[in-house]
Amino acid sequence: MLMAPFFALLVLVFLVPVGAAVRLSLFSDDQPGLGFGPERTVFAGSRNYEAVLTDPTFLTGMGTTALYCLVHIPLVVVLALVLALLLDSGAARLRRTAQLSLFLPHAVPGIIAAVIWLYLYTPGLSPVVEVLRDAGVTVDPLGVDTVLPSVVNIALWSSLGYNVVIFYAALQAVPRELTEAALVDGAGPVRTALRVKVPLVRGAVVMVVMFTLIWSLQLFTEPMLLSQATPVVGDRYTPAMYLYDAAFTRDNHGLAAAASVVLLAVTLALSYGLGRWSNRTARGGGPVGEGSR
Amino acid sequence: MPRPAFRALRTLRALLAALAVLPLLVAAACGGGGTGARETGDDRVHLTFWSALRGSQEVVDAYNRGQARVHVDFEQVPSGQQGGYAKLSNAARAGNAPDVATIEYPQVPGFAIDGVIRDLTPLVGERLRDQLLPRALALTTFEGRVFSVPMDIEPMVFLYRRDLFARHHLRLPRTWARFEETARRIKRAAPGARIATFPTDGGHHLAGLAWQAGARWFDTAGRTWTVSMTDGPTRKVAAYWQRLIDEELVFLNPVDTQAGSAQIGRGEVFGKLTGAWDAGGMMAAQPGQRGRWGVAPLPRWDPAHPRVGTHGGSTFAVTKDSRHPRAAMDFIEWQVSSPQALRARLSSGVSSQYPAATDLVAVAREAMDTRYFAGQDIYALFRREAAHISRGWTWGPRMTATLKTVQTGLARAGDGEGTVLGALDQAQRSALPDLRSLGLSVRAGPR
Repeated sequence: MLMAPFFALLVLVFLVPVGAAVRLSLFSDDQPGLGFGPERTVFAGSRNYEAVLTDPTFLTGMGTTALYCLVHIPLVVVLALVLALLLDSGAARLRRTAQLSLFLPHAVPGIIAAVIWLYLYTPGLSPVVEVLRDAGVTVDPLGVDTVLPSVVNIALWSSLGYNVVIFYAALQAVPRELTEAALVDGAGPVRTALRVKVPLVRGAVVMVVMFTLIWSLQLFTEPMLLSQATPVVGDRYTPAMYLYDAAFTRDNHGLAAAASVVLLAVTLALSYGLGRWSNRTARGGGPVGEGSR
Repeated sequence: MPRPAFRALRTLRALLAALAVLPLLVAAACGGGGTGARETGDDRVHLTFWSALRGSQEVVDAYNRGQARVHVDFEQVPSGQQGGYAKLSNAARAGNAPDVATIEYPQVPGFAIDGVIRDLTPLVGERLRDQLLPRALALTTFEGRVFSVPMDIEPMVFLYRRDLFARHHLRLPRTWARFEETARRIKRAAPGARIATFPTDGGHHLAGLAWQAGARWFDTAGRTWTVSMTDGPTRKVAAYWQRLIDEELVFLNPVDTQAGSAQIGRGEVFGKLTGAWDAGGMMAAQPGQRGRWGVAPLPRWDPAHPRVGTHGGSTFAVTKDSRHPRAAMDFIEWQVSSPQALRARLSSGVSSQYPAATDLVAVAREAMDTRYFAGQDIYALFRREAAHISRGWTWGPRMTATLKTVQTGLARAGDGEGTVLGALDQAQRSALPDLRSLGLSVRAGPR
């Protein structure tokens, strides 16, 4: 009974739209031949899915996103965890200030963050690029090879603080007796952090990885804004941009729906896989298992 | 006195209420913008007209002054690439598209297939048909039906710096082989300068060059779209420019940017391969270079059989939603064929457009102040070149997206990753699934 609101919302904001997208992807208003004749609605079957999966621009976008995930997710997790451990260990003075300044970028909306970074990236405008050039280093953060790291940098900047807070909260829940026991057993602060604290916040790590993964697969705002500034970021740079382009530039709503269903399927599969993997390794008896015994 | 927490809650609630109202306001604002054709108390027929073309307001004012039966309400919209086409598609889907819309040639088949614009065949009279350049009308005709009426058609030409060519004792290249030779001489004589820029933001530019060589990126024979963006002639053109790019005989960068404009301002390029309209564009962009420019025919592949492609040009279409298609067509006919319309358009500023209606060429020629080109009769040249526009070219059903894909590839090539042919191949391979998923009959053409 108490779950009713949850299921109502699930149906309303998730299952219904998904159903609509699937329907949209399976039917089509066709005009045979060149397309100048009258329309008729037909069952298109897998046609839109075949189109999405044979479109090199979609597959390239998938590849770009995969690369982005491989760079971004480990960086976010490791950096956030290290910062949270530093805060937790008391090594950082002015803990509150540090926490606030880390969290602040998260409060900046993605589009504003992208505008700020765009300014810092644009050659001829950016003080950073200028200083580097004066120091003898020529970089174009919007070049064909550098633009992906630039996107990662924006995302890292805005999501790091949020994840630090999650890890920090999890670390607060680690019983003090355990860290003290480690200390008594002769473990230094680094050893305590790596062997005692990190295993105990494993659940938080898995959660952060999963959320970041889901966010990353829908990468849109940052590259969309950068595409206004550099032509090497095309209209279909990521799958999310691809489906926006399909719907609003190409007016091909069936194709856009199919692309979004494919993206959803990939996201679900990866999240499920990650969940399964983390459950299995947890049950396989790690430090967490020992701790709870 | 309420506690701070309560006060905060109340503020929050007010804020939420304001947020809830916001969509309604936005919706209301949107609804106010796109008014379709309507009859009002003054029993005149009201038409709405959307255009991004400069001088459209002047044209509409002249039309409204000239007769009492129809009143045209003009709305300036963003250019197609800036969102004008998305606006038109969305308005058509919502059922409030304007009566008359401005569409460039590449987008005509797409809007026709989507059912945004209507078949004008029964409304295009003999008089208008005789006026229009057949090659222009062919580009807006599919399966024997006219979907849009051409206003101007823009053969590609070579704008060149008279003074720089003279200073270095260079002759105008009449063929592409000579063009390459001249490019080498320019690079030797002035190492910081080049003969031209190969624009990485120029999908249309590359299309025009391929068109000249006899390419057929899209073909409608056999009631099937045959897509061959890497056919023989295109490969020839791509290989030619790749060589010039690799040997750094041309610049490779965007041109429709401030940096591109500055390149011309500093005299680093000796010329520009572009549509006839861009002569006027140059006059507006570089007023300081008056008297230093000239217009030459586009270099040929085979001087015995001169052919050119086009770059730019606009058409007018009547939408499916229009309740007064006949009145809309009358307005279009007046716009594309009447000297008053052209004079009104030119009153808003310089333009070197080449009218698709042959009688108007004399009007445009008369209005052109040729001092910028050292007195050269540029319209005489345009007229000769327009006669050489290669037949057989057809634009495809999703040209905005297809050309954008080409440009993304060219931009990557500009950064050292990929080639001209690679960009075309990627565009070809992504256009095929796109068109298939629209339910069109599609096949890949010869490579």
